[in-house]
Amino acid sequence: MRSGTLHSTAYDDVPYTRGGAVDRTEVGALVQSAVDGDAAAWKALVEGMSPLVWSVVRAHRLSDADGHEVFQTVWFRFAQHLGRIREPDKAGAWLASTARHECLKVLRGLARLTPTDDPRVLDRPSEDRTPEETLIDSEDAADRAERVRRLWQELDGLGERCRQLLRVLMASPPPSYGEISAALGIAVGSIGPLRQRCLRRLRARMDARGAV
Amino acid sequence: MNADDENGTAGEPGPDQDAFADALLEEELRQAAAVLDPVPAELVQTVLDAFVLHDLDARLAELTFDSVVDALPVRGVVDAPRMLTFRSGEVTVDVEVTGDGLIGQVLPPQSVRIEVLGGPGAARPVTADTLGRFTSDTPPAGPFALRLRTGAEVIVTEWLRA
Repeated sequence: MRSGTLHSTAYDDVPYTRGGAVDRTEVGALVQSAVDGDAAAWKALVEGMSPLVWSVVRAHRLSDADGHEVFQTVWFRFAQHLGRIREPDKAGAWLASTARHECLKVLRGLARLTPTDDPRVLDRPSEDRTPEETLIDSEDAADRAERVRRLWQELDGLGERCRQLLRVLMASPPPSYGEISAALGIAVGSIGPLRQRCLRRLRARMDARGAV
Repeated sequence: MNADDENGTAGEPGPDQDAFADALLEEELRQAAAVLDPVPAELVQTVLDAFVLHDLDARLAELTFDSVVDALPVRGVVDAPRMLTFRSGEVTVDVEVTGDGLIGQVLPPQSVRIEVLGGPGAARPVTADTLGRFTSDTPPAGPFALRLRTGAEVIVTEWLRA
C-alpha cells in the first residue's frame, strides 16, 4: 500500500541513493575514460560536477574573484591528479573536499591580512542580476519568481550551518551525502537530521511570511 | 483505505508528508540555485580547456608545506610572504611568493629549466641558475603551477592559488 508515497526515512537511512543526472556510479568510468584521453568524458565530468564545486565556493561566501580562482584551482588540480585519484568513483567527494580546503585557505589568508575584519562581510557575493533572473521578471511567472527570490533571501536568516548545508544540498545533480560531508567537513550521519531541521526551519519562515 | 488515508492526510501531517514536503522544498531550492546562482559560463569553459593540463608524462610534486596553513602567525606581521614547499621523490622545490614575484630553489641543487603555468596554454619561462635557484618578477595572477625540466624528467607542482 505504500507504493507511490515517498518513504519517510529515505534520506536518513539510504543517503547514497542520492545523485541525479550524472549517475554517480558512472563517475568512476568517466574518470577512467578521461585518464585515457577522452575529452568527452572530461566534458561530462566538468558539466556534471561544476555545480557541486561552485556550491562549495558559495557556501563559504567567497568574493566573486576569490571564488573564481578557487573554482579553477580545484579543476586544474583535478586534471592534474586524474589517474592518481585512489577512488575514482568518489571523484565528487575529492572535488568537494579540495574545494573546501581551498576555500578555508582563502578565508585564513584574508583573516591574516585583515585581522579585525570579517571577510564574509567584506566579500559579499555580487548583487548583480543574472540574465536568467531578468528573463524571469519579464515572464508571466512573476509569482513563482517572487517565491524563488524570497526563498533565496530567507536562506540568509537561517544561520550559518543551515545556509551552508542547503547551498551545497541544492547543487545539481543532488550531491551524495559523502560529497556533502567532504564539502563541509561534517559527519555523514549528521547530514540527514540537519537537512530535515534546516528545510523545516526554512519552510516555517516562508509560512510566517505568508508566502504562497 | 488508500495510501493517503493511511498516512493521515486529514489530521496532522504524517512523517511521509513531511519528508515529501522536504524533498519538494529541496528541489525548489535546486531550481532557484540554477537560476539565481549558476556556475558562470566562462568558468566552465576555462576548466573544459584545462583537460590539456592532464599530463601523464610529468611527475607530480605535491604541496608539503604552505605557510597559510602550516606556519604560526607572527604577531604584527600582516604581509608575510607565502612560503611553499613541493616534493616529488628526492626533489624538493621551495617557493616564496611576494607581491613582487617568485623566488625559489630546487633541491638537490641542479640545473633546471622552469616555467610558471597560469592556466591552460599559459606558460612563462623564469630565470634559473645552474644550482636551481630561480626568480620571477611577475607575481602569479590567480592559480599557478611550476613546470620543471631536469635532465631526465618533467616535474609539475600541484596547482595552487597564490
